[in-house]
Order: sequence, then structure tokens, then C-alpha cells
Amino acid sequence: MSIPGLGQAAPAAAFSAPILEAPVAVHELQANSEWRFEVEIGEKIDVKILSGTAEIFGTELAVNHLYTFRGVKSSIYTWHGCRIEVTGTCEEYTAEETPMTQYVNTHFALEKLRDEAAQNGREGPRVLVVGPTNAGKTSLVKLLTAYSLRMGRQPMVINTDSREGLLSIPGSLTATPFASIIDVEQGWGSSPTSTSSPIPVKLPLCYYYGLPSPEDNTKLYKPIITRLALASTSRLTDDPAIKATGMIIDTPGVISQGKGGFDLISHIVSEFSVNTVLVIGSERLHSEMLRKFSTYRTSTGETITLVKLDKSGGCVDRDETFTHQTNEAAIKEYFFGNARTTLSPHTQTIGYDDLLIYKIREGIYLISAPIVDPSLHSIAHANSFLPGGVEETEQGLFEKVEPNPSMQHCILAVMYATVNDSQDAVRDASVMGFVYVAEVDETKRRLRVLQPMSTRITDRPLIWGSWPEAAVSLVG
Amino acid sequence: MSYEIPEEEVAQDFAAALADLSMNSRYEISNLTVIARENTASALAISEALKSHIKQTSPAKKLPAFYVLDSIIKNVGTPYTLFFGRQLYSTFMEAYALVDNNVRSKMVEMLKTWKEPVPGSMDSRPVFPPEVTRPIENALIKARTSFLQAHQEQTRSQQSVMGRGRPMPSSTPYRETPTPPGNYRAPPPQSTPGFAPNYPAQQYPPPMNAKQYPPQAPPAQQYQQMPPNGQQYPTQQNGYQPHGLPPRPPSQQYSQPPPNAASWQQQYPNQPQSPYQAQPPSMGYASTEDSLAALNSDIENLINESKAEWSRNPHEVSFQTKLKALFDLQTILRSQTLPPDQISLIQNQVAQLKKAPQSAPIMQTPQAPLPPTPVVATPAPAQQPTLSSILGPGAQGALAALLARQSATPQTSSAVPATIRSPQQANIPPYQPPPSVTPAATPIPDPNSLLGRLRAAGMLPGLGATTSTPTPTVSTPTLASPPFMNTPPTSARTPLGIIPNDVVLKPASLKIPRPHLLAGLYEHLGAPCTQCGRRFQSDEEGKKKKAAHMDWHFHVRQRMDEAESRGQHRSWYVDELDWIKSREVEGETTTTTDPSQNTSAAKAAKKSKQQYIPAPDDPTLASVPCPICQEKFEMKWLDDAQEFVWMDAMKVGEKIYHASCFTEATKDVNTQAKRGTPEPVLGKRKAEDDGFAFRAKIKSEA
Repeated sequence: MSIPGLGQAAPAAAFSAPILEAPVAVHELQANSEWRFEVEIGEKIDVKILSGTAEIFGTELAVNHLYTFRGVKSSIYTWHGCRIEVTGTCEEYTAEETPMTQYVNTHFALEKLRDEAAQNGREGPRVLVVGPTNAGKTSLVKLLTAYSLRMGRQPMVINTDSREGLLSIPGSLTATPFASIIDVEQGWGSSPTSTSSPIPVKLPLCYYYGLPSPEDNTKLYKPIITRLALASTSRLTDDPAIKATGMIIDTPGVISQGKGGFDLISHIVSEFSVNTVLVIGSERLHSEMLRKFSTYRTSTGETITLVKLDKSGGCVDRDETFTHQTNEAAIKEYFFGNARTTLSPHTQTIGYDDLLIYKIREGIYLISAPIVDPSLHSIAHANSFLPGGVEETEQGLFEKVEPNPSMQHCILAVMYATVNDSQDAVRDASVMGFVYVAEVDETKRRLRVLQPMSTRITDRPLIWGSWPEAAVSLVG
Repeated sequence: MSYEIPEEEVAQDFAAALADLSMNSRYEISNLTVIARENTASALAISEALKSHIKQTSPAKKLPAFYVLDSIIKNVGTPYTLFFGRQLYSTFMEAYALVDNNVRSKMVEMLKTWKEPVPGSMDSRPVFPPEVTRPIENALIKARTSFLQAHQEQTRSQQSVMGRGRPMPSSTPYRETPTPPGNYRAPPPQSTPGFAPNYPAQQYPPPMNAKQYPPQAPPAQQYQQMPPNGQQYPTQQNGYQPHGLPPRPPSQQYSQPPPNAASWQQQYPNQPQSPYQAQPPSMGYASTEDSLAALNSDIENLINESKAEWSRNPHEVSFQTKLKALFDLQTILRSQTLPPDQISLIQNQVAQLKKAPQSAPIMQTPQAPLPPTPVVATPAPAQQPTLSSILGPGAQGALAALLARQSATPQTSSAVPATIRSPQQANIPPYQPPPSVTPAATPIPDPNSLLGRLRAAGMLPGLGATTSTPTPTVSTPTLASPPFMNTPPTSARTPLGIIPNDVVLKPASLKIPRPHLLAGLYEHLGAPCTQCGRRFQSDEEGKKKKAAHMDWHFHVRQRMDEAESRGQHRSWYVDELDWIKSREVEGETTTTTDPSQNTSAAKAAKKSKQQYIPAPDDPTLASVPCPICQEKFEMKWLDDAQEFVWMDAMKVGEKIYHASCFTEATKDVNTQAKRGTPEPVLGKRKAEDDGFAFRAKIKSEA
């Protein structure tokens, strides 16, 4: 008789079977210290907590459970001390000075605000995390999310940074309610798939911005933020568990360092009715914000609490290559799953004429004088019922394009909209999913695309952005 | 309408209609469902009619009748779920026993759907609560395994009967005899533990001096007549009394009990504590086979008895639990070869169980008639007066979790005593079994962990000292202390919220370390899950949650394994409106929800438009209409997919729906957060209105 459910550790173990004898090291961590490690893309390490307590960005690790980390820069913190066993090679060191006390206290301060809000029947704090690139914003957001989850809360996590995806691929902006543990091995976890996951899936609401920086096209970024805020606020008001906890908003670093950034910050602040701003690692930004927000009142009349937090010494710069590689990994994961769950995307061949593709115009100056390839006009878009000539006259955000070879290996967002919708409606629509252009066949005028599941997508507009950049071929 | 028609009449009509139902006719079934829906006032009568119909009708007609039941509970829901749930086990199993294999597999499929939420409903709770379905599942598992094991068992029993002067092998209770090293050398096999077959386990000698206790004690029943026997303990001379008190020396577990301790144990074999008295393996046992056969038949008898009991008292959760435990035990017993000492352990417990039914009258009343004995100082959960509090869903969850992970373990045996023992506990309040005795002689780690789990589930009194037991591989749901080893020891848990929190968002305040608050993220949250590190309180609720959580882990594993054979893919993201209306149900924490809910909720939220699925190959499946609108699916060739598909269809669990029907039906999340009584059409409409209002709001605000 076989009783199922025995091999709890089996999945991790199965993947970890090393061909070569991987070096095993045991580290003894003192209380309040942090073990920081960097695993190269394509490499992996297995980590096991032998005793004590340990957490990764606030999520507690189970003792004697094998965790596998691939291509990641991360850290394990211990409040009480622990022994960890590490199999595999990585760059690593142990740090004793961390801002963790500050961070955990921030969490408790937020808890207090949540309790107070609950007593007064109001919404929990909407927390905005700002700071320059590589200051540890996302890590702090994750930490605060994990801590509140451990206290039984349900925070809503908003990602307004298109450089990195949150439960989605880069280029997208998402809102995700968290009710279950964050996956420590795979970023934030996974969006729903057709199977079960050992870490419960999260359900993101996704919008597509498609450019790496908000400043690339603020005319597109702002309305999407507005839309994202509207939906998340609706959910927040409606969902008591989230309402009691509030939101935690991650931001792109660029808006905290550029000149035009403040405008975007205040846009986010007002759209999400932010009442708590955490500024990481920038004295100057903090004082600037203090000055500008001192008299500010949210829509409900609350003042904004602004606090400066230290940047962790563990923050490392991620160079372009690393970003590019992680983007690619995120795209791969979207279609093919991760080491734990293998997904099989659907391949489909679609004729040029069956598709309506909008390309995002880059740079705000482009909108006034779109340069349209005259050849476009001669092509009849089978599914397009737009009155002829709309694309020249409309100073749209998008440019309607016909599939072309430069699209190869790019990502297109499938929108929850119809081909008849106006560009504004398409812009405001949420994302149904993404397809990957595997091949463009100019002669047969056909596209071969990879899509998560076999649904017809020709009745929906697709958006083509420049972010994430074209990946290497995902399919052989 | 319903209130105008007398209940009996409705039931009669219903029964008449049922009588005509001889095949799986969609029309008739849905018709009956409609009748049931319209007459919820007569729900009791209707459900009784259906139940008795299922019982009485010929095997050939049972399946359609079950389909009616299925349809009613899924489409109407409460109060039918409630009424059918009560005797679902007997209804189901009795029919199961009579029908042929084909129908059986259909029934199993149906049962499977009962463990899931109603397809199309946003309610994430399973059709029937797990307390109801689990005993059935266990029985089915048992049925399957027992078939396989039958042969083996037979051989064993043959061997065993030989050469043993056992008068009635079948019903012999195993008299519990821990052989203490000391004066208690058990006499040779016959008189020893083993097989003094006719010695009812109950024999419990009134004499005070334990040491004198002759194996051939007076008939067991005697002991039952002495209500205050619990009280006798305090008077015992054995000097082991301290063990009865909460703090128990852990050391004892592994040491051989001194003679009098042993005698003490022996004296109480019948007592509930006995489950804890593990016997030293060294005992002079009768041959294993011998005992095994006897044991098997004992268990069989017990199962039958408890079944009967349970059908008499369908509300009594303890019976379900007990039954389940028995089945588990039986399965394990049959499927594995256990070392003698383990068997003896089981035997002890079974002996007690056997006794239990006899004392049933007492046990059934939660408050035992007996006055609490003076010594009642034991805080252990087991001492709680109500059975249900002890054998709550948490316990079951724990059991399931156990089953899930325990590999061949004799230890399950302990589950049996545990469950069963609750009834008796009333008799023995003073006698908190020394914890030490429990894992005592069994060097094997598993039993302990199992006990630990039981204990955690509140089924056994908690033992403070069992720390040594937990093996890393086995996850213990909520052993208060042991799993805790990875956290600094904390003596008492402070409920969250009491801890003063003075942190404000000011740089100075944020810099002060506050270990007491930090404890709120660790110790105060309870012990962590061994698989994901998530912590659970050690109180009742926390235990339930943890049990459900372990179940969830188990189910996920199972489902992932199943899914491996099929292709898996990422789902589309949900659309704005669906997302706003969806709720994160914490699948793993709520006992009532099916673990799948997280994913299923997500799935349910998927956009339905333009969904299709490959047309099913299975002809029976292909002929089933959409359960919501009862219309057939439209099949067509889809170029994109290069296959025949059903348009506007989606598969939820085992069923296929029109995607549009499904979205329609799942819209009422808001108003129907919990699946209430008959789902009124009105409610649905209201929900839709809400939806439109929302869309409008979004539109206007945008």
C-alpha cells in the first residue's frame, strides 16, 4: 500500500540531485545577522536550515526543508540565530549590520495603524515605498508583505515598476492581494495555472505599460496608474480582509531620482490615497518629499506620514545584463513554468490579417506627428472596423502596426478588449495574458506565437511594447 | 407552493416519482431536483424519502437515485446537505456494498465531487463537509486494500489458529498486559498479554494492590459497574501517582517502568489511558500470527459495531472519527507486517475499544455521570467533557494528515485508542496517563510522532515531555513544544494583540529593538509547518487550521502528481471586474474549504468568453449536458486548435459547464459569500445588478 503525500521534500530534492559533487558548507549565523548570497543565472544552490529560525524577506523558512535558489541575489536573515547548510557554489558573506530592526518596527508600526483603522472602520494604511534604484524597495515591500501575512493579514501589493514584473512579466503593472505565503524560491510566487502549486498561487490584476521607465511615456503611464488604482481601490473597499490591511506600493527607482519624478510620485500618491510614505536610502528625497507633502491631505483628509529608512548594506546593483537575464527568466517562467511545475504553452499560427496589433509610441513627443508607414494603409485589417484613416488623424498612444520581422521574439500583451474598442479603452483594459512571437513568416504572412493556453486571441487587440526587450528564442 | 402542501404529501409524491426512476434520466433527475428546490420546507421529509428509496430500491436503481441526491445537494444545497449529510455514510456504503463494480466507480467519482466545492459556485466549501465525506473515503480505501490483503490475512490467520488453544479467536479481546520487568513477569503466553482470549479486556480487578493483580481477573464488566474506579487511582500504592499529574517526567518514556509502575499500568489496561501504555517489546508474546488474526477479527467486529452505532447516532462525530480510525488501523494492519510489539500495542487498544461499546450509554453522554474525582488536576485536552470538542474536525484533519504521511506504521494503532477513548474518559478523569508511558517501549520514531499528532489534534492529552519523539521527516501538526525546537523556548503564549505596541513611524522609535514584538512573528504564532514554515497557534482553532493546512499540502501533492500526466498551462489573468469581485480564500487555513479553492477560485474567475475545451472522448461524459442550463454542448471543429471542441465550455473539477453559464453562476460572490439555503433566483439577479453597478462605477470613474 502506498500512502501518498510522503515525499514532502521530494520535489526540491529531485531537482537538486547534483551530478557533480556540489560543495556543502554549513554556516553558523549569529542572532540578528544576515547571510547574503548571489547565485549566478543558470546556477543553483540548495539551502537547508538545520536549526534555529531564518527568514527570507520576512517569510520564515521551514527547518530541514530543502530550498533551491537559482540565479538570484538574496539573503537569509535570522533573529534568533541558525545553522544553515548550503550545497552548491555562490558568492556569499555574512553581515551583522542590517536595518532589519528598523524594518520590522516599521511593520509593527503599520500593524498599529491597521488596528486603529479597523477600530475606526477605516481602510488600512496605503504604504508607498520610494527610493532610488537598487535601494531595496522591492525587498522592503516583500518583507512588509510577508510580515503582515504572518500576522494573518491580507495585504494588497501594487507594483508600479515596469522594469520588473510582480507575478507577471516585466512591462506590466499589477495589483495582487496576498493571502498566502510568498514563495521564497520563485520571486513572489506564481499566477494561476491549470494545476496546483505547493505554494498557493496569487491572482494578479495586470495592466500593460510596455516601456521600461514611466518617464518614457508619462501620457501612457499615468492613465494606467489611474486605472490600476481605481480597480485596486474598488477591491479594497469591497474586500474586508484587504481593507483592514491596506496596500503596499512598490515604485520604480527612476521616479525617485529624476527631475520629473516628483510629479509621478504625487500622481501615485493621490490615485492610491497613499497615507504612509517610506523613503529608503535617500536623505535628499526625504527632505524634498517632506517639504512637498507637509500640507498634503489625502482624499479622505488624512495627512501623510513620511519616514526615512536606511538602505540595507546588502543591496547590490543589478547591471543591465542581470536585468536582461532576469527578464528572460520571467518570460520563460510565464510560458514554461519553473523547476517545480512544468507548463506547456500552446503554439498557434495566425495570419497577419487576423491580428490587430498596437505598438506603443515611445517618447511623449511622438504623439503629435505620427510617422506612419504608408504601406500600412493599403493593408486591410480584417478585424478592424475602425473607420478608415483613423490612425493618421488620431494622436493616439498606440500605433497600429502590421506584423513584421522585428517582432520576432517579442512579447505582445493580449488585452481584455475588443478590436473595435477605442485606443483609450484598450489602454485602460487589463491584460488577459501574453503571447510570444516565436516566428514571423513574411512570405506566408503568418505569425507563429506561443500562448499560455489555446484560446482564440484574434478577437482581441494586442499591444506591442519595447519592454521587455526581445528575448532570445524560447522555442527551438 | 410548498407551504400549502403537507409535508407528507410532498414526500409521497417525491417517493413516487423516485420509484419510477430507473435510469439516469436527466429530465427526471432535474425534475426531482426542482421539486426538492421548491419544497425546501419539506426538505426533511424529502431527504428521508430519498434516503429510504436509496436503501430499498434494487441495486440497479441505486445509481440514478444517487444522482438525484447529488443533483439536489449541488443545485439546492442546504438544508438538504444537512439532512443527507447525517447518514451519508450508511446511505452510501450500504449501497456501495450492493452494487456492481461499474456503479461503484461511478459512486466514487460522485463522492469525489462532493469533496470539491460546487462547480459554478463561488463558495469554496466542499459540497459535503470533510467530516462527512472522509469516513466514506476511508471506508472505500479500506475496502480496496482489504481486498488485496485478504489473501495474506487468511494465511496468517490459518497459521495462527493452529496450535493455539484459543477458544474464540474471532472475538478475543487482547488483554492488555504490559510486562514490566519487575515482578510482573507475565506468565507464559496464554496468560500473558496475548491471548487470554476470553479475558475481556475489561477485566479490571478492583483490588487495590496492583502487584497482586492476577491476570485472570474477574470479568471485565465488573469494572464498569464500579463507577468511581477512576477514583481508585489516587489511592493506589504504587507511588506512580505523580504521573497522573500534568508534568510528567519525560525520561520515563524510555526507561522500563519500575515494577509498581508497571503494575499500575496493568491495572488500568481498560482505562482510557491504556492507549498510552506501550508495552515493552520484550514481552513474551504469543505468536504474531496468532494475535494478528485475532486482532483482525476484533477490528472487524468493532467496525461493524461502530457502524451500527454511528447509524444510530449520525450526529455523533465521535463515531465517525472512531470508525475512520478503525478503518485506518485495519488497513495498516492488513497491509503490513508489524513487529510483535507493535501488534501488541494495537491489541491493547483494540481490547479497549471492544469494551467501549459496552459502556456506550455512558460514553454517549458527554458529561459522564460520574462525579469528577478529586485528582482532576489534568489540564490535558482529553479531559474536556464533550466528545465533539475532542474529536472535532481538527482531529480528523490530523488523522488524515497522519495517514498521508505515515508510511507503513503500526502506530496508527494509537489513533484508534485515541479516538475511542474519549468516551471513556469520563470515568477516569483523575488518571491522566503518564505521558511517558506512551511512546514508551517503542523505539520506532513514528509512533511517537503519530501520537504527537493525535495529541496535537486534541485527541490525546498533551504531553509536555515528548520532545524526543519528533522525527524530522514526519510533520507533527501542532505538538506544542517539540516542533518548537527551532524557536527559543517560550513558556506561555501571549495572545496576539495583548503585546504592547508602541512603535510609531518616527526614525527614533523605529530604531529601538523590540524583542517582545518580534515574538509576535515567531513564538506567539505557534509552531511552524514543517513544509512551508507557516506557523499555527496551538489553540483549538490553530490546530484545526494546521490540520487543514496539512491536508492541503497533501492534496496539492496528490493533485500535482495527477496533473503531471496531463499537460499543464498557465491560466489567463482575470479580467478587472472578476478580479475585483474575487476573494482570496485562505484555502489552507479554513477547515471548511476545500484545499483546491485557491486555484479553483482563480479558475472560476477566469474569463469565460471564447472558452472551449476539446470535446471529451468518453461517450458518457460527452452526453452529459451543462449542469447549469441542462443543455448540450455545441461541438465544432476548431481550426486554431486543430481538433473538435466544445465551444463556450469549460471544465471545472469533473464537470463541464457552459463557460457563460458558469460565469453567470459565479457572479454572485458578493451576495452569496457563503452558499446559503436554496439559491434564490432573486439573489442571483441582485448580484448581477451589483456587477453592472460596478462596471458602471468603473466606467464613470475612469
